[in-house]
Amino acid sequence: MAEQPIEPIHQFRINNLFDIGTFGGNGTPGSGTHLAFTNSALFMVLTVGLIMAFLIMGSSRRAIVPTRVQLMTEMSYEFIANMVRNTAGTEGMKFFPLVFSLFMFILVANLFGMFPYFFTVTSHIIVTAMMALLVFFTVIIYGVYKNGWRFLKLFVPSGIPWPVLIAVVPIEIISFLSRPLSHSLRLFGNILAGHIVLKVFGGMVVALLGAGAWGIIAIAPFGMAVALTGLEFLVAALQAFVFAVLTCVYLHDAIHPGH
Amino acid sequence: MSEPRDQDHPKTGSATPRVTADLEARIARARGQRAAEAATEQSRQGDMSGMSRGLRLGSEFVAAIFVGAGLGYIIDMFLPTRPWGLVVLLLLGFAAGVLNVVRATAQMNAETAVPKDTPALPDDEDQ
Repeated sequence: MAEQPIEPIHQFRINNLFDIGTFGGNGTPGSGTHLAFTNSALFMVLTVGLIMAFLIMGSSRRAIVPTRVQLMTEMSYEFIANMVRNTAGTEGMKFFPLVFSLFMFILVANLFGMFPYFFTVTSHIIVTAMMALLVFFTVIIYGVYKNGWRFLKLFVPSGIPWPVLIAVVPIEIISFLSRPLSHSLRLFGNILAGHIVLKVFGGMVVALLGAGAWGIIAIAPFGMAVALTGLEFLVAALQAFVFAVLTCVYLHDAIHPGH
Repeated sequence: MSEPRDQDHPKTGSATPRVTADLEARIARARGQRAAEAATEQSRQGDMSGMSRGLRLGSEFVAAIFVGAGLGYIIDMFLPTRPWGLVVLLLLGFAAGVLNVVRATAQMNAETAVPKDTPALPDDEDQ
């Protein structure tokens, strides 16, 4: 145990739990697409399963005087519904299922990650990038479908003389294209950095305890680890909220292009 | 939150209006307390999420620069404009990053607007 190096990024390693098979390729090793059920997939299934159990349990009774679970379900609905109405407008409510699913998935996945030895789904950029691209393409497709060519007014601020537009339009386009990147990087970066820092301080406690009399100063990193755990719970909820709010802000652009 | 229940409430219905008025006042007071608690809670959370706000602005800024540089690099790969596509679009990406930050800040300021009747802080030029 003592010989094992303390490795703060070991927690993000993907393991194959069981193989599904190889598709395509010519039979030689390394060709084709190899599919397997990984620990990441397991935790995604657990996340979705927990959300479904929570929502089905909460909405099955439909009592007038709600039980605790029903109250929590209704609160989560009200919370997201108000946010969508305030940020994206009443028309944005047709995207409520998307925003609610994203919020609940990220929230529960982040909170799952707070259990020791659990895998954090949102600490892999491929997961957050796919969610951000889903929002990005939803905005483009719905914006063009709803507004046609007027969607391009998003890139042309009104009331600007045309010589300035030559510089402003490329800037607006880059600003628009940078959205999925910042949208996904923020969630991924917060979760990744938080878990690494937590692990580093935890590792410091173990290393100092093994150092004989100096073990007494292990209390300092231990205190930091306790404080950071609290902070990480806040970050887990906050990043889910920020992701959902920005989804609403972007959807508002699709519904009402032009500033 | 928990006030003592009124012990000496009348057994008969003679003083019912007085008791109801009293109850109303107590409910109003409790509501006021709850609003104040919510306000302090919100201000505390506002302080706590400062780090996340900073990270948001940082990622908005950096993402635009990366996208600008990436677009410039791709243009240079396909057009004989090397290195000007990268140079120009990197600068435009920088401008887009500033634009992103300004927009995000404006949105954050709008969310936590200063109340209208807040007295202005005195400063040196007032004297």
